[in-house]
Amino acid sequence: MLPLGTRDLTLRLLDEEAAADETSLTPESTALRVYEKLRVSLSALAGVAGFRSLASRALTLAKAKAQGLSTMQVAADGSLQAISEAKSESDKPQGVEGGVVLLNELLRLLHAFIGEALTLRLLQEVWPNTVFDDCDSGTGEKHERTR
Amino acid sequence: MSARDKVAINKLPTGVLGLDEIVGGGLPEFSFNIIAGAPGSGKTTLAHQFVFANASPERPALYFTVLGESAIKMLRYQQQYTFFDPAKLPKSIRFINLSQIVLEKDLSAVLAQIIAEVEKASPAVVVVDSFRTMVRKPQGTHSEMEVQGFIQQLALFLASWQATTFLIGEYAEDELRDNPIFTVADGLFWLRQTAERNSVVRKLQIIKLRGQASVPGLHTFRITDSGLQAFSRTFGLSGHKKKEASKRRLSIGIPELDKMMGGGIPEGDSVLVTGASGTGKSVLATQFIAEGIRRGEPGIVAVFEERPQAYTDRAGSFGLDLEAPQKDGTLLILYLRPLDLSVDETMNEILDAVKKIGAKRLVIDSLAGFEMALSPGFREDFRESLYRMIFALTGIGVTILSTVEVDESFTEFPFSTYSISFLTDDIVRLRYVSIGGQLRKILIIIKMRGGDHSQDIREYEITAKGMVIATERLKDYQHLITGIPERLNRASEKEDIQQTPNAGDEA
Repeated sequence: MLPLGTRDLTLRLLDEEAAADETSLTPESTALRVYEKLRVSLSALAGVAGFRSLASRALTLAKAKAQGLSTMQVAADGSLQAISEAKSESDKPQGVEGGVVLLNELLRLLHAFIGEALTLRLLQEVWPNTVFDDCDSGTGEKHERTR
Repeated sequence: MSARDKVAINKLPTGVLGLDEIVGGGLPEFSFNIIAGAPGSGKTTLAHQFVFANASPERPALYFTVLGESAIKMLRYQQQYTFFDPAKLPKSIRFINLSQIVLEKDLSAVLAQIIAEVEKASPAVVVVDSFRTMVRKPQGTHSEMEVQGFIQQLALFLASWQATTFLIGEYAEDELRDNPIFTVADGLFWLRQTAERNSVVRKLQIIKLRGQASVPGLHTFRITDSGLQAFSRTFGLSGHKKKEASKRRLSIGIPELDKMMGGGIPEGDSVLVTGASGTGKSVLATQFIAEGIRRGEPGIVAVFEERPQAYTDRAGSFGLDLEAPQKDGTLLILYLRPLDLSVDETMNEILDAVKKIGAKRLVIDSLAGFEMALSPGFREDFRESLYRMIFALTGIGVTILSTVEVDESFTEFPFSTYSISFLTDDIVRLRYVSIGGQLRKILIIIKMRGGDHSQDIREYEITAKGMVIATERLKDYQHLITGIPERLNRASEKEDIQQTPNAGDEA
């Protein structure tokens, strides 16, 4: 999975979450929901400590690319503590981009460790109604939502 | 109780090539098993193979990971094996991490969590990896009774929920006596790996398995891209009926030798051809295999000291065509010389070849080369392994001719350096003798279990047509087997040269 492909995947997850709950107020809260769903699922698989270490690495990588993440940190249970601060800056494009970058890094890490097939299978479990089979992540082509 | 009154225990495939035969046809369903061994011995891979072989969306597998290898890394490495099917995750196989609860709570909370997950998923298979770390609480506050109670309840619950269970642990063998887990377990799989000089030997033992008979003893296994592959000590032939003894004689392709052996080698015999370097053991063996092919009996040659092409070329120099039968599939020449070879793996190769072409004749050329190809750890067991191998192969009607080199001595007359003559039905001894200022060769049939044989000591030559044996015994000499014979009638000593066999007579 190439970075551009992972980004498309991230956008698809955000898109799915936004469509699932149209009452969401901000894109940041949508990113937070995607992150939370991944946290619950991956903590069951890898343990809380396992997920926390993965998320910490992703956040460190993401901070180098998105200024808006500089105030965030990963809590003991793996949750993102400063996401609420970003919410207050929702008018800034950097806040939206920060969520995308973080999720992107998390998926990139997952892919690096367990490969594309297993990553997509794990995502499928969390978003069972979403079709990921068309995710040709290597090409970086745009995905059409198939739900 | 009659057979039909007994409960039928389903046997589940282990997913490990060769292991089903070792455990008696498959793993008993709903059994509670331990996989024990040192780190790196293949415990997790064995459990994964079982899980991937048995899990389905309707009856999934729950794989609980605890404090040991991280699940992410486990998936990273295990997916390298060919048995790993990502399509089975997560619907058929679910990984659940219990580290947090183990670290923060007591065993009853751990049990409650396992029960909740099992009741939710109704799994066919449950694995706890590593169970050892689960009960060995970091603070060491679990009492012995608490651990025992936990194990009892876990075993009871999982069996009641119709789950076949594997608990994985890094146990040492001296724990076998005291640890309650081994008492509760229905099955105990012990994996060992030992370094012998520069090679590693892996062995598996089924220490206990309730409900069915497993093959006892230590079984070699190897870890390859396909995961574990086990090699049963009975070579997968434990269920085979021994073939009825045949009265048929197989021609060796050397008419005079056939006569000396009462018409040839009794079918299904194991023959040892022994002699010093250059006495013609391989030539005799090649003639035996070539004659079989000529008579429509497919053959296998297991070579250790030269490559198949060299073996084929050498046969060609004696007028024996081994190229054509290899092409038409009636002859296989196996070159078996990897590092760390075990007899069991060699046997597996040979048995596969026997099944593949329906072989009736097998040549092992030579036992010395075979031994050298083995890992040092297996050499200690060479005789015993050889016994099992010969017994298994002759039991299915294959006639085996093995060659073995012995040091030529003028004070002894050894049959083999391995003391394996008891393993063979027939022994043919080749020997150098000094006669008339020449180093000549003699042949003796030492023994034949299947009946009478010639007592003659015959001279032979290796000619362009192979081995040619004199039609008459060397009757003018005594002490022939010392290698330095004495002529009984010294007056005719000058006739020595004329007494050598004539190749033209044999052809």
